[in-house]
Amino acid sequence: MPISDYRLARRDFVAGLALFAAAAPSLAQAAQTSHKQATSPRHLLLREVSQLVIPRSTTPGAGEVGVGAFVLLGLAHGLAGSHGALPKTLPEGVAAHVGADGRLDYVGWLKAALDQAAGAPFMAQPPARRHAVLAALDAQAFDPKAGWHPWKAIKKLILTGYYTSEVGGSKELNYVHVPGRFDPDLPLKPSDRAYSSDWTGVDFG
Amino acid sequence: MDFDAIVVGSGISGGWAAKELAEAGLKVLMIERGREINHQQDYATEWKMPWDMPFRGEGDSDLYDAEYAVQKRNRHFTEFTQPHFVNDAQNPYQTGEGTDFTWFRSYQLGGRSLTWGRQCYRWSDYDFMANARDGHGTDWPIRYADLAPWYDKVESFIGVSGAKEGLKQLPDGQFQPPMALNVVEQHVREAIAKRWPERCVTIGRTANLTEAKPDEARNACQNRSICARGCSFGAYFSTQSSTLPAAMKTGNLTVITDAVVEKLAYDPATRRVTAVHYLDTKTRTRKQASARLVFLNAGAFNSVHILLNSAQAGMENGLANGSGVLGTHIMDHANTLAAAAIMPGFEMHTTFGNRPTGVVLARYRNMDVMDGVGHTRGFSFQGGALQSTWTQGNRMAGIGADYKETLRRPGPWRMVLASFADCVPRASNRLTLDRTKTDPNGLPQLKIDFAFGKEELAALAQAKAEASEMLTAAGGKVLFGSDRPGAGGAAIHEMGGARMGHDPASSVLNKWSQAHEVANLFVTDGAQMSSSACQNPSLTYMALTARAAHAAVSMLREGKI
Repeated sequence: MPISDYRLARRDFVAGLALFAAAAPSLAQAAQTSHKQATSPRHLLLREVSQLVIPRSTTPGAGEVGVGAFVLLGLAHGLAGSHGALPKTLPEGVAAHVGADGRLDYVGWLKAALDQAAGAPFMAQPPARRHAVLAALDAQAFDPKAGWHPWKAIKKLILTGYYTSEVGGSKELNYVHVPGRFDPDLPLKPSDRAYSSDWTGVDFG
Repeated sequence: MDFDAIVVGSGISGGWAAKELAEAGLKVLMIERGREINHQQDYATEWKMPWDMPFRGEGDSDLYDAEYAVQKRNRHFTEFTQPHFVNDAQNPYQTGEGTDFTWFRSYQLGGRSLTWGRQCYRWSDYDFMANARDGHGTDWPIRYADLAPWYDKVESFIGVSGAKEGLKQLPDGQFQPPMALNVVEQHVREAIAKRWPERCVTIGRTANLTEAKPDEARNACQNRSICARGCSFGAYFSTQSSTLPAAMKTGNLTVITDAVVEKLAYDPATRRVTAVHYLDTKTRTRKQASARLVFLNAGAFNSVHILLNSAQAGMENGLANGSGVLGTHIMDHANTLAAAAIMPGFEMHTTFGNRPTGVVLARYRNMDVMDGVGHTRGFSFQGGALQSTWTQGNRMAGIGADYKETLRRPGPWRMVLASFADCVPRASNRLTLDRTKTDPNGLPQLKIDFAFGKEELAALAQAKAEASEMLTAAGGKVLFGSDRPGAGGAAIHEMGGARMGHDPASSVLNKWSQAHEVANLFVTDGAQMSSSACQNPSLTYMALTARAAHAAVSMLREGKI
């Protein structure tokens, strides 16, 4: 392929992106669709928890862009180490959710942990209370003395689901598939957004 | 004869063999065990965004556990690059007791040239004289001067960008303009040079073009750094982007894919290889082809496999193995993350674009003064400085608006230095054929026995201490460091097994990469290596291949083969 064709290919690609953006449903529509699909209690819980971790700001939150469903998919396929061997000592309340196959039911555990912490069904709590209950669980899991904790895998899947979604990856953060150049030193302004397409940063940051 | 030459394998060295032999006017057959992958049109994931992928680029962990149990341990293996790696369940191998060896493989047209790390470093006489100097292994029958013109030729053709530094241990080459050090790396380079003038941090010398090569339809690098998916710009060297089109242009090359070479037929009367036997995996039929010359470029371990599996009456230990050293003295660089540090002071700086290379900190021990602690060879570092992005959230407490806002901004700068230590050649590190276990093609599985020794462990210990010292001197706060090597094979520089040497009694190949015992057989991939150096080896394989091809053509014309 001669070089002129390469340029053409790249132009086509950029034009294609614009078309794709134009054809994509509005964010509100997308949110509505994913909301309709997410009707099982497990979906609803993960949608809500995702939204609490990454809420709506100038861009939609994680629950709104279908991250709850991604977390379920990830847990079903062992992502974030969720089908790996469990440590010998488990945090309180976890053992009850380990199945005969030795695998932890992460969602079952999460529901029980949140309900217990709320002292009543978590999903029936007012928004501020849900936030407080989840924030407390998160703080507990990330306590430097805590060690292994199942919330870390769920949170990792929420972050992955969000920042690799089109909204999280390219609206909340920047996404550039073909940078075309490398600038080794630019001033960083407080308003600058990070790049979800900085693969080295994603891998090693 | 069906062909003048047969090249087994289409990867980094096979592509070079095919190109050089075809350009010399020989009719060449290239046999590739894997599927066909056409440049540009078959790079299936190149234009995919994470949200286009079923598992967002992470891949299906359960599937990887079941079928890619080894390949998944390669950090370049992702949902995007999975099509460029083998399925381990279908391509089994055995390891000896106590051996942890990750054999990373890419069975396809182009082989690992599609997935390689692209780092191109010349070896120096510190490397070619290493065995003679400390007595490990056998002396190389060549020196730097023998290879220098071939390095020139290879670098000019494949396109290597890099900075000239005038280092004896890392000789300069025919470079395209270098990629830039980022602001933190530039600072680290200066801080280290100030305190240790003999230690040089330089930009990686990488087979990514900084200037287009229009005559070869190759564009300059677009700074995407997703090379292993395949690059339609042809901006990094691969068989597909570079050597294959050149070889095809001669009209002398025939390529067959989906053809697993089983063995070479040998005639003891003429002392020549007479045919290459292969299995057509699409039709499940056994076929053969003949040629005056055979080049083995199947990848170090698979070239050895073919030779071991070509045993016949009178040569029960394999073809070209009168010495008995075939399969022995395999190596891989001992490799680990020597240091990772937070680099404060650059909070107001950032970069744009994804540079497809890191930096290298050239070897500085055991050169003119033997100053290694517990080891006699070299180590070097590769790494770079980077800014954290959203994945830092995996380690952070917090939920809600403030947490989201934190992850919206570029995070702190980090600098990492990964150590690569020279691997001493040892007879006990070896390949054999497992006669009790076969692969799905009915071939005996390769068995790998491998362990690092006290020399590599000592080198990594010194590397860890000094990496930490250097990053601290550059203002870094060291978070982590290791001196425990990854599994064998983790550096993806597995080599040796058919070593070059002066003496037919203790080596497989002569100084032309030609079997001492079989005049028309050349092995020019990693199998030929007599020592490992601490640099990435692919550039040296290419230079040795071009050199061997020219020698073979001369011998053919002079009637010596």
